[in-house]
Amino acid sequence: MTWIDFPLYSSIIIILWFIGLVFLAISYKKHSIFKIANVLFVAGWVVMILFVVKLWLELDRPPMRTLGETRLWYATFLPLIGFVTYIRWKYKWFLAYSIAMASMFLVINYLNPETYSKTLMPALQSPWFIPHVLVYLFSYAVLAASSIVAIKGWYDSYQGNFKIETLKLADNLVYIGFAFLTLGLLFGALWAKEAWGHYWTWDPKEVWAFLTWMGYLIYIHYRHFHMHNSKQALTILALAFVVLLVCWFGVNYLPVATTSVHTYTQY
Amino acid sequence: MNENNIKIQRNLWENPWGYVESFFIGTGLIITGLFLEVFSTSGSAFTLSYPFNLIFLIGYVLVLFVLYKWFSTTQLIRWLTKVPASISSIVLVTVLVMIMGIIPQVSSENKIINNLGLNHITSNWAFLLILFQFLTCLGLISIKRILQFKWSNFGFILNHTGLFLALIAGILGTGDLQRLSLDVYEGKPSWIATDMNNQKVELPFAFYLKDFLIDEYNPKLALVDNKTGSIAHNDGKNLYLVEKGETYYFNNFEVKIDDFLPNAIRFGMRYEAVNEIGSPPAAKISVKNIENDAIQTAWISSGSFRYPYESLKISEDYSVVMTIPEVKKFSSDIDILTKEGERISTVLEVNKPFKYKGWKIYQLSYDDKMGKWSNLSVLELVKDPWLPLIYIGIFMMIAGAVYMFWMGNKITKNQ
Repeated sequence: MTWIDFPLYSSIIIILWFIGLVFLAISYKKHSIFKIANVLFVAGWVVMILFVVKLWLELDRPPMRTLGETRLWYATFLPLIGFVTYIRWKYKWFLAYSIAMASMFLVINYLNPETYSKTLMPALQSPWFIPHVLVYLFSYAVLAASSIVAIKGWYDSYQGNFKIETLKLADNLVYIGFAFLTLGLLFGALWAKEAWGHYWTWDPKEVWAFLTWMGYLIYIHYRHFHMHNSKQALTILALAFVVLLVCWFGVNYLPVATTSVHTYTQY
Repeated sequence: MNENNIKIQRNLWENPWGYVESFFIGTGLIITGLFLEVFSTSGSAFTLSYPFNLIFLIGYVLVLFVLYKWFSTTQLIRWLTKVPASISSIVLVTVLVMIMGIIPQVSSENKIINNLGLNHITSNWAFLLILFQFLTCLGLISIKRILQFKWSNFGFILNHTGLFLALIAGILGTGDLQRLSLDVYEGKPSWIATDMNNQKVELPFAFYLKDFLIDEYNPKLALVDNKTGSIAHNDGKNLYLVEKGETYYFNNFEVKIDDFLPNAIRFGMRYEAVNEIGSPPAAKISVKNIENDAIQTAWISSGSFRYPYESLKISEDYSVVMTIPEVKKFSSDIDILTKEGERISTVLEVNKPFKYKGWKIYQLSYDDKMGKWSNLSVLELVKDPWLPLIYIGIFMMIAGAVYMFWMGNKITKNQ
């Protein structure tokens, strides 16, 4: 019954990460301390991976069925994105953000104990299930990171010291996130053909997934042709993320939800 | 591309058309479409079927090719191959799809929704017109980049042409898509299927259901509030699977499962394992009240269509109940019989369709009231001759996405 161990694991992870964040803050003054922060982040992440592996083994099914389980994956991917981006771009604020965001998702899960049911409905028992969900959540995590870059960009231009580099980081993340978003969407279509007989049925979740895809499509085209209108680009990026959030959490609450095959199960 | 450096005052509709003109045209298309919705009398959706859809596709691509090749200097074609036209059509398609994502696409009482056709966006003229502009832009720029081929455009071509193919084949293919459902009963051949409009269709082959099988998970235990009848434990989440020997805790009760029988019926004071139609699962549980150490032991059962359920009342407020088992897997062992006397055996399962003579045959459902004793299996037969074209489009886009990942990775600080 691993999900019950969640409070223990998540507390360890959050304590490690929190101390890491404190060290990261100090490292702006004293750079040598940054190494300790990194060690703490990695240690927390290793505990996180251990928990996910243990959960998967004990549930006997991929832990990707409930909203809480998707948040868990999100919290797993975010630090990874933070590490890789830090190695390439050397932005400490970005690393700090991804760790803080991952911690926040762990706290949300802690406050909403989720199901640890072992059952999995027949339609979900498919080799497409794992790639579809993982690719999607990875993309969501990368795109969430890009939206934080947008907020940072807004803040900077409000302060009058906006750098075009910030938008380049956003582009870097959006391209990667959008590539995964496209893969998630298409894997879903290929799977749907095997499971439900048709690749696209305009199910509410599909509609919003399509809208998310279109939102980032607008950003990419706009950026490509209007390199210097940074404010507008940042606005589009933030709006696209709102659509993504509706797709992930919001669809369940819309009037159209009753007809969806994608609502997360409660039991 | 860099219009910030040159800001020249220009009038509306002056060459070249920009964003204002693009949104003007796009909105005009949408308004035209909505007018058509309000005033057109035909209630049925606009679809083309073979051979007209194929002729349309070939004609459309040829026209796009001719337009690009010989008319690319005209105002209209220049506009369609430029960014404002693309971005405005992406935005307007997004707006209409967003309406679809908010208003349920079912028949509505609301007059405005009904008259404007906002509850059937996919067949709404406004959507079809703006989608047509979107596809025309997409088609023209695909042709443009293919004709001016450069390796650096490879990813561009994969993404744009892939999307064009997948979309156009998906839209035109609906006219030829056949989806039939067929009820098959154990031990009886069936060949009369029902189509999407509830019309009977005779199949050129028959199905014979040898055996229909359901695998179930064990049932779950739940604590139920006696007054409201709703689940009173952990917000209705986290129900426990019934397994022999397990001990679970509900509030201040310790529940131990002494015995579990997947198929059983009551004989006097106890349940006995039987092999009979409609025999429900049953478990013997001991419930200990941690506060006063009082122990109750009883048999509970989830019941079935033939036998009543049994729960155990453990206090004034609560009872322990067993839920109806969830389905793990269902499958049909069938033979396909042809007029030539051939017999093909296969097992159909969810996520494992069977291909036969251009049809894909799916396990759809069964008689859920009878559950695992159902002798009815509902199959679905789907024929979609446009699928190969759609798959070519999808795989081009998958390749394009991989390319995009690789390109996105190369963006760095100093680039």
